[in-house]
Amino acid sequence: MEALALSLVHAVPPLAGVPLWTVTLLLMVVAAAVILVFALTFEGVGSLVLRKVAGDIQARIGPNRVGPNGILQFLADGVKLVLKEDIIPANADRLLFKLAPYFVFVGSFAAFVVVPFGVGLIAADLNIGIYYVMAVTSLVVIGVLLAGWASNNKWALLGGMRAAAQIVSYEIPVGMALIPAVLIAGSLSLQDIVRSQGGLLGIFGWNLFHNPFTFFSFFLYFTAAQAETNQTPFDLPEAESELVSGYNVEYSGIRFGLFFLAEFGDMFIVAALSTACFLGGWNVPFFHVGTLPWIWGNLLSLGVFLTKAFAMVLIMMWVRWTLPRLRVDQLMRMAWKYLVPLTFVNLLGVSLWLLVFRGKGIPGMIASLFG
Amino acid sequence: MGLKAYLNDIVEAVVTTAKGMRITARYGVDPREEVTLQYPEERWEIPQGYRGFLHNDIKTCTACNMCVKVCPVDCISLESVRGADKKMVLCSYDINIGRCMYCGLCVEVCPVNSLMHTPGYEMASVTRGELILHFITEDAAEIKARVARQVAEAAAKAAALAAIKAVEVPSSGTAGPPAAGTPKPAEAQAAAKAAEVPSSGTEPTPAPEKKG
Repeated sequence: MEALALSLVHAVPPLAGVPLWTVTLLLMVVAAAVILVFALTFEGVGSLVLRKVAGDIQARIGPNRVGPNGILQFLADGVKLVLKEDIIPANADRLLFKLAPYFVFVGSFAAFVVVPFGVGLIAADLNIGIYYVMAVTSLVVIGVLLAGWASNNKWALLGGMRAAAQIVSYEIPVGMALIPAVLIAGSLSLQDIVRSQGGLLGIFGWNLFHNPFTFFSFFLYFTAAQAETNQTPFDLPEAESELVSGYNVEYSGIRFGLFFLAEFGDMFIVAALSTACFLGGWNVPFFHVGTLPWIWGNLLSLGVFLTKAFAMVLIMMWVRWTLPRLRVDQLMRMAWKYLVPLTFVNLLGVSLWLLVFRGKGIPGMIASLFG
Repeated sequence: MGLKAYLNDIVEAVVTTAKGMRITARYGVDPREEVTLQYPEERWEIPQGYRGFLHNDIKTCTACNMCVKVCPVDCISLESVRGADKKMVLCSYDINIGRCMYCGLCVEVCPVNSLMHTPGYEMASVTRGELILHFITEDAAEIKARVARQVAEAAAKAAALAAIKAVEVPSSGTAGPPAAGTPKPAEAQAAAKAAEVPSSGTEPTPAPEKKG
């Protein structure tokens, strides 16, 4: 951001008198606003697509009344959420009750900072990118637990407890499944990880096809991440049929909306991370995006990245409407008896592979055979 | 749990998930799987013999009371009086469609097929009274009064006719039936009147028919 601010000051002479930190701050605010708008749009359209996909899969039609073919449904939903009365239960812990949605939303939205949208489109290319995402999304646990506790409602408390147990458990497989990508790139920065998957191998440069272990790693990450973000086969914290609506049962209006937005934000973060770490990120096959003019390169890479990420989101929705919800014990067993050991074995496998073959993947070796 | 069962569990989880996702994908992309009927715009085809709302064609109805008697939930009620031509005249015919259970027994027993099921099935009202279908819009009391007047007129006409006949019979018909010649004209008139009165009485129909 500092560098960008500096170049902006150089490019626009009237800005020379303004302190550099002001320009930097302004740029940050603009970047945050752009990402916020993107996130909100994604969440709105995502909710509509989710319902349409649900309709298709369940042999129904889905929303089709608001606007042509129902495409304005999300606007109606949003307006409804904003206009609804904001109710705080009489016996709730008022301060924590009001605080909880912000924790959840911030935890989900802050992860957008390091999402590599394009070759130069990233809010902040932190050198601890993946670590940052893992840390910041853990804030959601606190928010969910707070919401459950502060509502003074048995269902909400049960949902919050479940969420805490579930998210903490699944953090481990998620982290372990992402480490192979870090090992291959040799960096925690998401831009570095994406760059490491470029080159002339096309889609075979992706970490997904690097070696058999990374291939499994992708699926392990996808499964564990769905559980970590409370997506439907693992949506025990809000299990409608058992806990009414779980931790957010007492929330209404815009506060409920924040939980809702956070859920969709998490969905996108999972899709974006799996795209960046395993599916080549914004890399265009057989092509160096960096050689294009800045604007075209960024637009092209943005398009590629969003296409992959949205495809992943669609697959998540597909899984969501296919599998029935797990039981609590099944969920815990899956985390501790299956995913944790498997991801560790996988990590060991990737490490050994990189040690033995000196960091080369199968496609790279095949390519080097043919010169 | 041995290692074999452990690995078996993993394989089974993957295979069954893939199977399920294949099924949902088929449902997701195949538009023919859609079963939703967008009701107000699209309607289903009414099958033959569909038991919808009841309709009584009051022109053919003979007020036989069969439907009233057979109705298991007592939703049909009718009132009728004996008309001038000895046939029953309907004064009111009401069906409480909110109570009707569409069993179709009344339609089955109707001897003249005036009571029938229509294909209609849509009705909404804010009061329960609106759910009572009145097939005769005219006021029952008016009909009764009119029928009584007609009956009285007919009786008067018949009486006059009988009187004329009685007067004519002895003068022109002496050659006719010899045995019939015995009653005197005045007696014949009285007898005719006596015969008319009970059948053309202006009093409404017997009590059982008013029930319901």
